[in-house]
Amino acid sequence: MAQRQLGELYQQLQRAFNSNASDLNKCGALLAQLKIGLIEAGLLLPQGNPNKEDLVVARDILEIGAFWSIRTRDVPSFDRYFAQLQTFYTDYSSLLPPSKREFPIRGLNLIRLLTQNRIADFHTTLESLPIRADEIADNPYISHPVNLERWLMEGSYSKVWNAREEAPAEEYKFFVDSLMGTIRNEIASCEEAAYESLPLRDAATLLFFTKQSDLLRFAEQRKWQVNLVAGSLTFAKKDEEKLEIPKQKLIAASLAYARELEQIV
Amino acid sequence: MPDVEMKASNEKGTKAEDTKTSEEAKPAPPPNPVAEIKSNLGFIDRGVSTLEPRFTHRVLRTLTSLRKRIDDTTLHTVIEEVYPKGTFNDSLCAPGQLRADSSTKAALLSWLPASASAHSMEVDATTSNSPKPPTVEPCPEGEVYLRLLILHQLLTNAANYTKAVDLSLETIEKMKVWNRRSMDPIAAKVWYAVERAYELSGKLADARPLFLAAQRTAALRHDDESQASLINRLLRSYVYYSLYDQADKLVSKTTFPPSAGNPQLARYHYYLGRIKAVQLNYSEAHTNLQQAIRRAPPQKVAPGFYQAVHKFFIVVELLMGDIPERSLFRHPVLEKALNAYFAIVKAVRTGSLSQFQATLSKHAAQFEADKTYTLIVRLRQNVIKTGIRRLSLSYSRISLREICVKLHLDSEEDAEYIVGKAIRDGVIEGKIVHEKGWMECGGQKGGYGPEVGEVFARRIGYCLDLHNQSVKAMRYPVNAHRKELAAAEGAREREKELAKEIQEGDLDDEDLGGDF
Repeated sequence: MAQRQLGELYQQLQRAFNSNASDLNKCGALLAQLKIGLIEAGLLLPQGNPNKEDLVVARDILEIGAFWSIRTRDVPSFDRYFAQLQTFYTDYSSLLPPSKREFPIRGLNLIRLLTQNRIADFHTTLESLPIRADEIADNPYISHPVNLERWLMEGSYSKVWNAREEAPAEEYKFFVDSLMGTIRNEIASCEEAAYESLPLRDAATLLFFTKQSDLLRFAEQRKWQVNLVAGSLTFAKKDEEKLEIPKQKLIAASLAYARELEQIV
Repeated sequence: MPDVEMKASNEKGTKAEDTKTSEEAKPAPPPNPVAEIKSNLGFIDRGVSTLEPRFTHRVLRTLTSLRKRIDDTTLHTVIEEVYPKGTFNDSLCAPGQLRADSSTKAALLSWLPASASAHSMEVDATTSNSPKPPTVEPCPEGEVYLRLLILHQLLTNAANYTKAVDLSLETIEKMKVWNRRSMDPIAAKVWYAVERAYELSGKLADARPLFLAAQRTAALRHDDESQASLINRLLRSYVYYSLYDQADKLVSKTTFPPSAGNPQLARYHYYLGRIKAVQLNYSEAHTNLQQAIRRAPPQKVAPGFYQAVHKFFIVVELLMGDIPERSLFRHPVLEKALNAYFAIVKAVRTGSLSQFQATLSKHAAQFEADKTYTLIVRLRQNVIKTGIRRLSLSYSRISLREICVKLHLDSEEDAEYIVGKAIRDGVIEGKIVHEKGWMECGGQKGGYGPEVGEVFARRIGYCLDLHNQSVKAMRYPVNAHRKELAAAEGAREREKELAKEIQEGDLDDEDLGGDF
């Protein structure tokens, strides 16, 4: 594909993406064509010293692709776009002018890791961000996922719940739903451990349910006993753990010591 | 005496150690550097000709103390003295060889500033007490050793960094061409100098392909020392740029040579500990950092490394929910460096969120420089957990509102969730009574159970392993047992005589020493 054709497609994509109700299907089709074009131009995974403007265009296309994947709710595709963008963000960071979409995309990636409960990866990624650690608080795109993670770890679930409307970009909201699912399960497992029984109404508030029917369905899933007459939930009591002496292990260990001591003396 | 290549140690507190190192190396006052380098070259020669790497290792052990005492003049003199003079024995050598000789020498000398040469002439005249000028060049290992010394000398001056990079590249090329296994121990040290050269000139990332290629070669040749050194070089480079993903992949794809020396192993454990800590794998990070501390060179010799490891060690220990020992912060080497960390520990111990935040912002710059900031931020939840645990120990029943006030939480609702999570995570034993709005704390678990046995077994295992390792590490010089046999024979003789004397009654009470 000729360079010129690539440029035309790029402009079409920009128009399609930036128009108010961006046409997702059209964007998808254009992106597929553009990616082939980028491969042919050797820009998808740039090697050597390509032209600076070309790189910026390639990065732009991939960034639009990343946003497009979120809008079409295609997380694996977002994953791929992000991996391709990594080259531009890390290896060519000194060469290219910084992109204003870089931090939103990095932030989205962090949220994605958080919703998938990949906390270790979350921290590894956070650690390799190109900003100083004490400046994170000043960057709305990054501080949002960082705060969410902190609250989740602390157990301040109500703060997470309240923060769901404060997303710094439209795309962040896509992850809110799955995040809320994660939180609910977390809270539920905490309740099982911490309470013996709960009034239905309070349980609904704690789990952020507005309708009782939702709560009842949820309770059924987690096998809680519902007492509709008294209006309360009872959690299954955990079995008292039995203390058992691991005989076999102790014998094996003692024999091993005896053998070793025999060798030493 | 391990090598002390640890970064920070170069800056602080090395003066006192300098004398100490040389004392340990040899009890006599250190000879002047020129003589020492020359005797070292002799050792290297001997090591190469007898195929006994011990001699080379011995030379390399003194590298740290030596490199602080050398200067341009010293190196100049040494090179002048150990390489045959250009005009010497024309008749014995083929003309071609002669030219080659002087070219090596000229090449080496060209890396030193010219101003030193005039000075060296005098030194040469006055101190040269060698009976006769050498007729043969030192072996290639000797040359690489000299290059290594020159490299370290160049690195002492910021103006020479680019030159150092050039020299290191040339040296690597030479090592590749010679390809001698007897050179491996020295090569391992050269790699370190290469890294230093690149790092000081601010392009550590550029050296990565070089290290990766060399690491592959070293692995194929079972060159354990270079391999260990190179893996550490690469890890350092990745961790320096916060590329923990790549570092983790490198670790999983390589095996660290088990025969590597303690200093390399200590470093390896340090980097592993850092990677694991970032990945939230605190217990493994703890083990690694503990190993790094145990294997580290003596604290006074490499204070920088000792301090750096302890910083991470303390943070990881806090993250695991333990409180580091108080005595750690009174340690003479650590006391000053760990000041900020001590403040954090205090805040975590009292479980006060406001104190924690204040300390964090006060020392933010230092934590950022130590690269521990993000780890310390994670401590927030531990502060809360410690606070809740403290409350659960002192109260049998406490209202959520009180918890909220005491821990500076934002709302009662938060407090309820947080306590719930603490109960689920097993931080405290107890339950929440929602209707009454309080937390009831359960009794404490008895501290005795099968897990005690497990810990005990692990410790015994460690001791036994240590014993076996030390037995394996002992050296038995050839024929040494004969001497011992002779001594034993003598002792038996004497014993016999003594027995005989006793029998004969020569030895009476007075001889036994009591003259009361």
